[in-house]
Amino acid sequence: MALFRKKEIATNEFNQVIVGTSLTKEAWKRLKKNKLAVVGGVIVIIYTLIALCASLLPIYPYDEAITVHRNLRPSLTKTAGDLMLEQEMKNLFFQAWRQGRLELSDEEDAQIEAWVMESKTNQVWDLVYARGMEALEAGSFEWNSSEQSRIDRMLNNIETETQITIDKVSVVYEGKTMNIEDMSYEELRGLYASLLGVDENTLEESLVNEVRSAVSNELRSKDSTLSGEDLDSSVEMEMDALGEDGIHDRASTNIIGYIEQIAQRSANSDIQAMIDSGSMTFPYEGTFDLSNGLHVELEVTKMHERRYIFGTDYLGRDLLSRIIYGSQVSIAVGIVGTVTSIFIGILVGSLAGYLGGKVDYYLMRFVDIMYGLPYMLLVIICMAIFGRQIVNLFFALALVSWLTIARMVRGQIMSLKNQEYVEAARSMGAGTMHIIFKHMIPNSLSIIIVYSTIRIPAFIMQESFLSFLGLGVQAPYASWGSLIGDAVSSMALYPYKLIIPSIVMVIFLFSMNFLGDGLRDAFDPQTKNQL
Amino acid sequence: MSSFKDANVLLEVKDLRTHFKTDNGILKAVDGVSFTVHEGETVGLVGESGCGKSVTNLSIMRLVPSPPGKIVGGEVLYRGTDIMKLSEKELRNIRGNKISMIFQDPMTSLNPYLRISTQMIETIRLHQNMTKQEARERAITMLKLVGIPSAESRIDCYPHQFSGGMRQRVMIAMALSCNADLLIADEPTTALDVTIQAQILELIKKITEQLKTAVILITHDLGVVAGMCDKVCVMYAGRIVESALTDDLYASPAHPYTKGLIASVPKMDGNREERLFSIEGQPPNVIDLPPCCPFHPRCNRTCEVCRHAYPPVKQVGEDHYVACWLACSEEERKGALEGAENNGK
Amino acid sequence: MENKEVILSVKNLRQHFPIDGGGLFKKTIGYIRAVDGISFDVYKGETVGIVGESGCGKSTTVRSIAQLYKPTTGQVIFHGVDLCTADKDTLLKERRNIQMIFQDPYASLDPRMTVRNIILEPLRIYNKRNLLDKNYTEEELDEKVKDLMEKVGINKAFVNRYPHEFSGGQRQRIGIARALALNPEIILADEPVSALDVSIQAQILNLISDIQKEMGVTFIFIAHDLGVIQHISHRVIVMYLGKIMEISSSDELYSNPLHPYTQALLSAAPIPDPKLERTRQRIVLEGDVPSPDKERHCCYFYDRCSKRMDKCACAVPPMFDCGNNHHVACFLYDDKPVAEPADDTPTEGELKLRKKTENKAEN
Repeated sequence: MALFRKKEIATNEFNQVIVGTSLTKEAWKRLKKNKLAVVGGVIVIIYTLIALCASLLPIYPYDEAITVHRNLRPSLTKTAGDLMLEQEMKNLFFQAWRQGRLELSDEEDAQIEAWVMESKTNQVWDLVYARGMEALEAGSFEWNSSEQSRIDRMLNNIETETQITIDKVSVVYEGKTMNIEDMSYEELRGLYASLLGVDENTLEESLVNEVRSAVSNELRSKDSTLSGEDLDSSVEMEMDALGEDGIHDRASTNIIGYIEQIAQRSANSDIQAMIDSGSMTFPYEGTFDLSNGLHVELEVTKMHERRYIFGTDYLGRDLLSRIIYGSQVSIAVGIVGTVTSIFIGILVGSLAGYLGGKVDYYLMRFVDIMYGLPYMLLVIICMAIFGRQIVNLFFALALVSWLTIARMVRGQIMSLKNQEYVEAARSMGAGTMHIIFKHMIPNSLSIIIVYSTIRIPAFIMQESFLSFLGLGVQAPYASWGSLIGDAVSSMALYPYKLIIPSIVMVIFLFSMNFLGDGLRDAFDPQTKNQL
Repeated sequence: MSSFKDANVLLEVKDLRTHFKTDNGILKAVDGVSFTVHEGETVGLVGESGCGKSVTNLSIMRLVPSPPGKIVGGEVLYRGTDIMKLSEKELRNIRGNKISMIFQDPMTSLNPYLRISTQMIETIRLHQNMTKQEARERAITMLKLVGIPSAESRIDCYPHQFSGGMRQRVMIAMALSCNADLLIADEPTTALDVTIQAQILELIKKITEQLKTAVILITHDLGVVAGMCDKVCVMYAGRIVESALTDDLYASPAHPYTKGLIASVPKMDGNREERLFSIEGQPPNVIDLPPCCPFHPRCNRTCEVCRHAYPPVKQVGEDHYVACWLACSEEERKGALEGAENNGK
Repeated sequence: MENKEVILSVKNLRQHFPIDGGGLFKKTIGYIRAVDGISFDVYKGETVGIVGESGCGKSTTVRSIAQLYKPTTGQVIFHGVDLCTADKDTLLKERRNIQMIFQDPYASLDPRMTVRNIILEPLRIYNKRNLLDKNYTEEELDEKVKDLMEKVGINKAFVNRYPHEFSGGQRQRIGIARALALNPEIILADEPVSALDVSIQAQILNLISDIQKEMGVTFIFIAHDLGVIQHISHRVIVMYLGKIMEISSSDELYSNPLHPYTQALLSAAPIPDPKLERTRQRIVLEGDVPSPDKERHCCYFYDRCSKRMDKCACAVPPMFDCGNNHHVACFLYDDKPVAEPADDTPTEGELKLRKKTENKAEN
């Protein structure tokens, strides 16, 4: 209605135009005046957009682990290869110093000894690296042959090692070019059988067996006590539950993986030939028509030319990408948790507040009892019972966090209940639901909105806390909390792994709080300076 | 009624202006108010809600919340010294000591967590050099004066143990405990019932006569004014539109607003079948008023000049002043109209 | 008024609110006797004024009539139906003809609704349940809103404005438009002008009498201002502490008040005429209105009455008929015939409470 309101010009008795405003409009006006809240709001929006568009951003996959890129420090200018080399040389210089080949002043020796005692590895490395490079340039130090060969090998690797990413594999099948991912199970099976040159029935059997053993592994990982007949029977039950379609779906996924492997193996020789002949420029994108009838579109990049501006973690995964994907989880927990708890809270709170009497009494005693329980323990128990999945995390958090909202809504509704306009509505014969939905909730909405903006950071903190303890999201997924949790163990050696996610999180929480504060001041200006 | 012309001038308000800054513009809550209070005189400030009567009284005590409010001009002379120019310390010496206030809501103007005795003794000792015991005795005398039964024991009660009327009595006792010269009563009986209102008004009248205190009585009730005041100022949209001795004002109101106001009170002896006289329209919003008589849209005797210029204050009788173009001569109106038109161009 | 049709009849209405004690289990430890046994009739087309100090139960009376509270005992008979015992559907159907106007024009309109939605709310509620003479379409409702706004004198251009953009008087007009939306037979006006300024008050009073003349609506009008009551009502009920002290026609009451309370009330009201004010003798009542939380077996006004007699402390005075339809509950007039006996039988809740305390005393 309000959107399509006609523009009308009304004047007062002094011929001055009166412009209509609603309470919401005025609140918006007040919010816009609050600079801090606006900045907070903008930052929150940017975060949310980045989290939403994570898959479209030009970042490395968050779960792609490159072992040789472990623990690289963040750098804007240096590539992964440079950093690897630097790290290697730091190690070598240190060994050389130990062996006495790299000579430093006595003070520096003493300093390094002290640092080693305090396990300040980074300082030691930096110092020997700086001195070592000086010495190398001055000619007073030379690598011995084994060290030289290690460095050469590494340089060579950095120069040549490539990474092949397969974008699409297609095949001419019954006269049509088809992407293998669009093919049905039967078609895939036929294709795979012909590629391997085996009988389709034998293949079918081995595929089903593969799925069965996968299922069996899953079951055993869930419950390690299962064995023997128990295990067999549960596997059979699980297989029955999957049904033929389910089994075929899983088998198809497996086949696609195999075919991609075959395609990559076949293309490898061609790529190697191109690299050797020097006709390949990086990054290279191209299509290879393979002898076995497969067409593969792939991308070849130099593995060590990657840049990690936020560094990498202990498995060689890009921290930037993990933080972005982690923010997806963290922000989602904040929003979903708040929304769910608000729904439950409004329902319980408004019923208790409006109906009053016995209903109110029992609902509120229930809330009191829930308050009495240690809620983190509840969440942990929930996570333990229902499994450590993100959905369960949402569920567990929402389950224990509607209490405050319910109380708040109840209080609000109780004060609104005695307002004359509610009495007026009752005197017109309005029903309970009409009054709750038409009068009470719209009038308490502003407070609910304000409260929920303040709640979101609390949820993010709780999720981080759980993830930090290792009860939250599970690998390969990340959240801010789990990133920080992972970083704690190597805090002294790689402080950036702790500091960067923390800063990212703190900025978001600050912005959210400023926004919440601004909203509160905007929606009820009277309570300003009070809370 | 005796005139206070010969008495000393106690308080003189000259062209007082208090403006509030709001989101929508400057709100001229008080826009050039002048009046005088003589010793022992009771002056009524009458007007509808939002006409600036309460802000006038807060401005006199320099209690306007700032921001958003600001006293932008004018003088308030208390026995010849300008309150607007006093330091905060000198001001505190006057507040509560020489000029004291009672407010509309007796429920909120007492601290609910402190005993009456604590609050009263504190106030008295703040302004007068007394020991605790003397101050307590003084407080009890004051409570007795305002008619609180068994004051000796009730002085140690908490405010919630008193009823609304009793609380207002306590407020009056507190206000007068330092021998103030001037009592500003801001709608002292609006929150009370008729029978209690009668008690309180009777009390204020008796006690101020006894202590020779001057009173500024702020109210919207013309009935209260009629019984209490020696002189009345009628306010509209931040200005005083008419001021006169009470008898004169009721007998021959000069401003159409005053006339309307008196006529629109339903009288108990009135004829029920008659329609009440009513001033049509709504009181104006005092933000960004154009230069005109703010009452003209509701006035039943509007002329052209009312739309273009604010009327000057004219004397129409002894101590009877009015700000209305009707009281002006034809030439003055013409002159003002031309002046306004020239300004417009 | 005798030949007029009785439209609403209140019989021995009591409204007691339980006082909850503290503790884990909320126990009722007493009752606030807001309205304590009142009876009166309302005739079609008249205005009945109810006057009294705050806490005398006048607001509770109209709210009980509107069934906002379930009365403790008593009957409210409207169109031959006892609203207190009527089932939900009948109540809804009958309540259409009883609408209310509230005291505070700032609190009685939902700040999040536009004027249009506020005025339409009762119509929508009844339209949805098909309780109106026909089903209104949105356009017809629009038409209706415009009509109502015109009737109460609000610029039709403001239809989509929010209440906070209006001044008190205009808001009260919106409240009146809402009450008129269903074409009710009775409007219960709970102090509709006491929050308004004098000049606006006169506008609203005129509007109400215009509406009454035009539509023939019956009003029950509450005010604490005696002048307002005198101006607007045909008959006046004076209440004190949940009891009716005096019922009479307006002219009769003001020219010849019989009850000492009415006399005190009339003399306490300030009159905007300085000469009259100075000369007249005021009866200033001592003390405050006592708290209505205990049972009384004496005249309810006994504590503050200037003419109290020993008799007054012993029994609740019945209504004496002083002729000319002037009834008064005061033993000063016990030579007159009794119009209606006093009834101070305790309510069920109180009997229970009494029993409990007796048991406790025995133990």
